Amino acid sequence: MHDLLVIGGGPAGYLAAERAGQSGLKTVLFEKNALGGVCLNEGCIPSKTLLHSAKIFDYSKTGKKYGVTFEGARLDQEAVMKRKTKVVRILVAGVKAALNKHGVDLVEGEAHILPRSGEGFSVECNGTTYAGKRILIATGSVPILPPIEGLHKGLETGFVLTNREILNLQQVPGQLVVVGGGVVGLEMASYYNSAGSHVHVVEMLNRIAYPTDRDMADLLRKEYEKKGVVFHLESRLTAVTEKSVIFEQQGNIQEIHADKVLVSIGRKPFTQGLGLENLGVEINRRGAIPTDDRGRTNIADVYAAGDVNGVSMLAHTAYREAEVCIHTMLGHKDTMRYHAVPSVIYTNPEVASVGETEETAREKGMDFECTTLSMRYSGRYVAENEDGTGICKVLVDKRRRNVIGVSMIGNYASELIYGASLMIETEMTVEDLRELVFPHPTVCEIIREALFVL
Amino acid sequence: MATIVIMPRQGNTVESCIIGKWHKKKGDLIQVGNILFTYETDKAAFDEEATVSGTLLEIFFQEGDDVPVLAPVCIIGNPEEDVTGLFPGKVSQKEKAAALPKEAKPDLPLSEKTDSGETRISPRARALAGKKGLDIFFAVPSGPEGRIVERDIVALEQTHPGATPAARESMKPGTDQIGTGIGGRITVADLARDRTAADAEPEYRDEPLTQIRKIIGSTMHRSLSEMAQLTMNRTFDATGLLKFRQEVKARGTAWGIPNITINDVIIYVVSRMLSRHGDLNAHFLGDYVRKFRNVHMGIAVDTERGLMVPTLRFCNQMSLRQISDSVRNLAGQCKEGNVNPDLLRGSTFTITTLGVMGVESFTPVINPPQTAILGVCCVMTRWREDGGKPISYPSMNLSLTIDHRVVDGAPAARFLQDLCDGLESFQVMLI
Repeated sequence: MHDLLVIGGGPAGYLAAERAGQSGLKTVLFEKNALGGVCLNEGCIPSKTLLHSAKIFDYSKTGKKYGVTFEGARLDQEAVMKRKTKVVRILVAGVKAALNKHGVDLVEGEAHILPRSGEGFSVECNGTTYAGKRILIATGSVPILPPIEGLHKGLETGFVLTNREILNLQQVPGQLVVVGGGVVGLEMASYYNSAGSHVHVVEMLNRIAYPTDRDMADLLRKEYEKKGVVFHLESRLTAVTEKSVIFEQQGNIQEIHADKVLVSIGRKPFTQGLGLENLGVEINRRGAIPTDDRGRTNIADVYAAGDVNGVSMLAHTAYREAEVCIHTMLGHKDTMRYHAVPSVIYTNPEVASVGETEETAREKGMDFECTTLSMRYSGRYVAENEDGTGICKVLVDKRRRNVIGVSMIGNYASELIYGASLMIETEMTVEDLRELVFPHPTVCEIIREALFVL
Repeated sequence: MATIVIMPRQGNTVESCIIGKWHKKKGDLIQVGNILFTYETDKAAFDEEATVSGTLLEIFFQEGDDVPVLAPVCIIGNPEEDVTGLFPGKVSQKEKAAALPKEAKPDLPLSEKTDSGETRISPRARALAGKKGLDIFFAVPSGPEGRIVERDIVALEQTHPGATPAARESMKPGTDQIGTGIGGRITVADLARDRTAADAEPEYRDEPLTQIRKIIGSTMHRSLSEMAQLTMNRTFDATGLLKFRQEVKARGTAWGIPNITINDVIIYVVSRMLSRHGDLNAHFLGDYVRKFRNVHMGIAVDTERGLMVPTLRFCNQMSLRQISDSVRNLAGQCKEGNVNPDLLRGSTFTITTLGVMGVESFTPVINPPQTAILGVCCVMTRWREDGGKPISYPSMNLSLTIDHRVVDGAPAARFLQDLCDGLESFQVMLI
């Protein structure tokens, strides 16, 4: 009998299996599709390889401002995709090696939970039954595909794409319509805008990048409007034809031509057909498996981590949830906290945030102070960004003087936001943080500047 | 020099007492007169006061422990003294120290503050805490007089992750908090959660039963479940009694007469009447009834610790003045908790008074193995016809409960009748 059966080999599943194996738990990991999950195969990682290629290509277009002129610069979509495949292969191999090193049995196939009989749990995969003392459900999420006229037909013909297909396009579409202006939609809009597509973004809310701070979101939209992306806010998709997208904007029906359509309106937990009903695991109305702050479901010894719990739906959240689950299994006290989980949009410029935004802090009735600084207070930012418009916003609890939220737009934001997470997690006061030495010149000094304004 | 505090002997019949509550803890400074601990016999609770000053160096029994009388309970002395030789079990200091680290739970801030609000800490401990960046706020003091010493800082490093700086801002010493922050640190959210929990008044509070309460409970339950109890009520004209009481009040001080109460008179009359009704001045002992020659009157006294029933021994031979003095003394001792437990047993009949609280009638519960109990109720105005005219008079009700296994209704009613007659013309009985 195994100590742990992990269903799903994405960030939550593979990290949990790794940690479990490392701690001496006899662990088996089931993955039906590709080890590494959406993150590694059709999400975070492949999109980042594409966006890096785009960034290099962007430099060729803006190099003149910095005294460098490129001639004949060209983005080779096939070569970009080829490199992406290589990067994914390297990282998947890395995950496989880590699992192997920690003695995790990897079973490639679709797992199905069987009804209980006696001790522990049983999971069937590829005709074999595996017995285990505990189960971790880490089956992730799938794109939401609303029942809109022509959408499913478009998916069949390859006219409509999800995150999976758009990361495999061998040709850059002439006109790309992105439905849904969230993280996935914006990153793909960013890449294909750089790669030469004429991009339209159709968004239902009156803002993009929800729930990012509105100031950051508006700045990002303006930056992309400068680059030629057209945003249709407060617009609801009503139909997809063979060559266009129809949407309603404030009562007006509009139709725009499209060579490809990306549907990125959100993701939903994947819980169907796993056999969860055989154990009586609770599934809420949104299709997610609710857990407590230790990763436990309503059934003893059944845990859930990652997108499937419907809470945060970010790979790095999944990592941490997985660790909390394993710690709980091992009897070490650990608690999942979500208030300092950073989020990043890898557009150019990058957007990164952690903790409260002005809006959420106000909604919660928090007593806070807030300062917004231009990124141009950072020497390095000025040196590297001609006409840069980036900003950084820092929120501080008025009474206790600890940092409760940081949002910023500007490159390197993705790499420095963890520092802000640390400030929020440790609840250090502004006065303490002012004693911290930041490397100079760096973009992260903007936080130090903000601390001295507050 | 160290002083051993022993469990006092309360009367000749008490062999052991239960420690109800410690009012001081190990390491506390003790002044003469400080209450060290409360202890209980099966009938009463007492406070043990310190007779010497010093530091409470060692405690041998915990709350709830049944301690034989005259056994050492704790040691008071000078902190520098080695008192291990005085330990009843002779546990050496070294063994004690070796056992400590495992027991020393991170029970959270306990450090004693001095009067000026400063934490008691040794300079070495403070230096070490500073060097390691540890927060002495969370150190569990193990030094004398609640002082934090070096080993407490070493232990702190291993046990307590502390609180975040923002959480520290609004923490009070002594808050026992569960940290859910990074590395188990206490965060602002933890404090908020605790405050929400604290703000909501708990629906109930569980209080463990005191020894007295347990005894009362089982005695009362046994009484009602084993006996055949019957209560009857009868009123008497209290005009004479009230008039007497008024006169005592008005002239007592001037004439040097004690403050004789209505209850004292009732006790007096009952003690006389009982001599004529032996069935009610008796113990039912299964196969036989033990009838007493003298009346040993149990008087129910309401105290903070619960109901206590001291005995007026040879009550039938006492004058009204003696009864009044004795009742006052005994009730005072019960309320102060220093009554001799020997006086809490051996009564042959009991009187309980609820009249002062306005109770008009009730069913007193017999104190086994007695065969009867008299309840005294309040004064009420009643009317009687006199020559065709209604006349009002003050009346008092008596509620008599008898054990029908021993006493029949009619003899009980006769006793009650005699009693009421006696009370209406009690002055005659004083002769």
